[in-house]
Amino acid sequence: MIDDLGIKDAFASITGQALLQAVLVIVIASLIMVAVQKVLPRVAEKLGGKPRLYLLASVPLLRLLIILATIVIVVPILVKPSFENMVAIFGALALALGFAFKDYANSLIAGIVTLYEMPYRPGDWIEVDGQYGEVRAIGTRAAEIVTPDDTVVIIPHNKLWNSLIANGNDGTDNLMCVADFHLEANHDVSRVRELLRDVAFTSPRTKTWRPVLVIVFNKPWGMHYRLKAYPFDPKDQFQFISELTARGSAELARQGVKFVSVPVAVD
Amino acid sequence: MKDKNNENKADPCLPGGLVPAEQWTLPQTSVRRSLKDAIGHALKQLQAEVSQAEEPFESMDELPELSSAQRKRLAPEPDYSDQATAIACGLERARTEGSLSREVAFLVAPPFSGVQQALARFPEPGQSGSIESGGEEWAIISPPDALSFDDHEANEWWDRQDLSRPWVIPELADFWLRRLSGLALVKELFRRIANGDTGVGIVGCSSWCWRYWGHYLENAQMSPWTPGPMDAERLGAWFTYLASGSGKSTVIARMTGDGYYVLPLAETDENEKDKDSKKRKYSNFLRDLAATSRGNPGVALAIWQRSLRARPDDDTKLEDADEKTEKQSQTADCWVVPLERLSLPTMPQSKESVTGFVLHGLLLHNGLDMASLEVVTGVSTYELSLVLSRLKRAELVVWEQSDERWRVTPIGYPTVRRHLQSWGFPVDQF
Repeated sequence: MIDDLGIKDAFASITGQALLQAVLVIVIASLIMVAVQKVLPRVAEKLGGKPRLYLLASVPLLRLLIILATIVIVVPILVKPSFENMVAIFGALALALGFAFKDYANSLIAGIVTLYEMPYRPGDWIEVDGQYGEVRAIGTRAAEIVTPDDTVVIIPHNKLWNSLIANGNDGTDNLMCVADFHLEANHDVSRVRELLRDVAFTSPRTKTWRPVLVIVFNKPWGMHYRLKAYPFDPKDQFQFISELTARGSAELARQGVKFVSVPVAVD
Repeated sequence: MKDKNNENKADPCLPGGLVPAEQWTLPQTSVRRSLKDAIGHALKQLQAEVSQAEEPFESMDELPELSSAQRKRLAPEPDYSDQATAIACGLERARTEGSLSREVAFLVAPPFSGVQQALARFPEPGQSGSIESGGEEWAIISPPDALSFDDHEANEWWDRQDLSRPWVIPELADFWLRRLSGLALVKELFRRIANGDTGVGIVGCSSWCWRYWGHYLENAQMSPWTPGPMDAERLGAWFTYLASGSGKSTVIARMTGDGYYVLPLAETDENEKDKDSKKRKYSNFLRDLAATSRGNPGVALAIWQRSLRARPDDDTKLEDADEKTEKQSQTADCWVVPLERLSLPTMPQSKESVTGFVLHGLLLHNGLDMASLEVVTGVSTYELSLVLSRLKRAELVVWEQSDERWRVTPIGYPTVRRHLQSWGFPVDQF
C-alpha cells in the first residue's frame, strides 16, 4: 500500500543531514513557541487593560504562524516538493489520522477553526457545558480555562462542533455583571430603580461610560430587580457583584424596603 | 489649534481664549515624538516590576536648577485675577456675539488649567475690566462643609443660596462625593438649571467631574466652554507674559544642548525685524511641551519650571556651534533642559486597582481628605496611607495643608492620566 501511495519514493531522498536539519528547525520552532506562550502572557499581565487582551489574543495566532512557517521550512528539507510527493505525504497522513487519531484530529482541526473564527480568546470569560472561567491558554488540541475557584478545566476544541459556548466579553474588556435583588412588593418601584442605578454609579469599579440598567420583574412572591453594569476589569466581576449586592442591600434596608424572607424557587 | 475667532482678541494671560468644548483639539506633535512617548510608556509599565526605584523626578544633568527667586522672576505662578478678568471678558464677548445664549455658562477645564482659581477671584463690580450683569454683584457659591444630603435636604440647601443675582461656582467637583448620599446637591443644581430656575451664573467644573456627570445625566446638554489649548505659540506667549509681567520685555531662553532658541518666539523676532534673528535656530521644545502637557497650561508651567537652568552644561559647545553669531553667544536669561533629559514622575509598582481608585477619586473630586477618600474608593484608611505615601514619594500626589486635601501634582498629572487610561479608567476629553 505504501508503494501504491508513492510514500517510499517521496521519502527516498531523505538523508541523515536533512533529518538533522529538520529536527533542528522543529526544535527551534518549539522553543520559540514555548517562549511566546510563556513570555507574552506574563507581559500582558503587567500591561493590564486593553493591551493585555490584545497581547493574549495574539498568542494563538503567533503559534499558528510559527506552525505554518515550520511546515513550510521542514517539508522541502525532507522531500522534494513535487506535486506527486505532496499528494503522497498528505494522503498518507490523512489516512493515518483518519483511522488512528480520529478524535485527536477532530480537535486539531477544530483548534485551527478556533484560531480563525475566534469563538474564544485568551482573556475571555466563557461557559462551556456548565464550566465558567477565564480562558488561560489555547493549545493545539484543547483550551484551558481557570474557574473562579482557581480550578483549571481543559476543554477540547471539538466541543466547538456540538456545544453551546457562551462568551461574556468576546475579546473585549466589557463584561456585563448582574446583581439580583429579590424584594417584597408594595414599594416605590421607580425610587428603587433610581437608587439601584445610583448604587452602580457610585461604585469605584463601574465603567460609567457603559450602560447601567435596572430591570424589574413582577413575580408572584414580590419584585425581582436585576442591576446590570460593567466593571473596569472582567477579573473583578465577582467582587463587583458582591459590592453592588452589599451596598444595594444596605441602602434598601435603610429605605425600609424588605427582601423576601421565604424560600423561593428561582428558575 | 488656532481658533480664529479668539486669536486676535485673546488676553495674554489666557492666550487660547475660550472655545466651545467640542472644538478643543490636542496640540500636535511630531510622529517621532508620539511614537517615542508610546514606546516609553509601555516600557515603563514593563519595567515597573523590575525596577523598584522610587526616584520621583530625575534630572539627567548636573546643572543647578533655578533658585526660588529666579524661578519667581522667570517662571512665576500666574495671577489668577487677570485670568478671571479674561474669562469674564471672553464669556461676555461670547454672549454678545450670540455664541453663548444660555443663562448659565459651564466652563469645563482639565485640572491645573487655572479656571477654578480664576473663578474664585471673579471680578467684583467696580474693578477694572470687570463685567457687571444688570448692576448686580457676582456671588461666589461655596460648597457646604458636609456633602451628605438626601433629595429634600439638597433642595432646601439650594433654596438658601441666592441664585437670583449673578453667581459663580468655581469648582463643581467640590459639591459632591461619589457615594449614595453625595450626589443630591449636583443633581438638584442640574435640575434647577435645566428648569431655568436660576439666574445668570457660571459653573466651573473639572473635566474629570464633568465626564462623570455626563455619563450620569445622559440627557443633559449643557454646551460647556473651555480655555483654548495651549499650543507652542500660545505657550511661548504665555511664558513670556508671565516672566515679563506686561509681555513687553523679551525673555531669552535657550536649549542647553544645542543653544537653539526657545524664547523669544520666532514670530516675535520677525516682528522686531532683527537681522540677526533671521539667522537664529529655534528649538521644537515648546511644541513638544505643548503635546506632553496636552495643552494644559498648569502642567506645562510645572514642566517648564523644572526644565529651566541657570547656566548651560557646556559653554564650549556653543562656542563651536556652526551658526554662532555674536547675538547667539550672548548670555541668556535662562537655559532649558531638553524634555528627553527630564523624566516626569513615574508610577510606582503597586496593586493597580487600588492605586487607580485613589488617583481617579482624587481627580474626580478635585482632591479629597483621607476620610472622604476612604468613602469614595472603598479602600481602608490603612491601605490608603500606604498607597498615598508611595504616590507622594513618587511625586504624583501631594498633601495640601491649605485645605487639608490630597491632590494630584501638576508635574505628575500626565503620568497619572496615561496610566489611568491604560488601566481602563474613564479619562477626560482633554
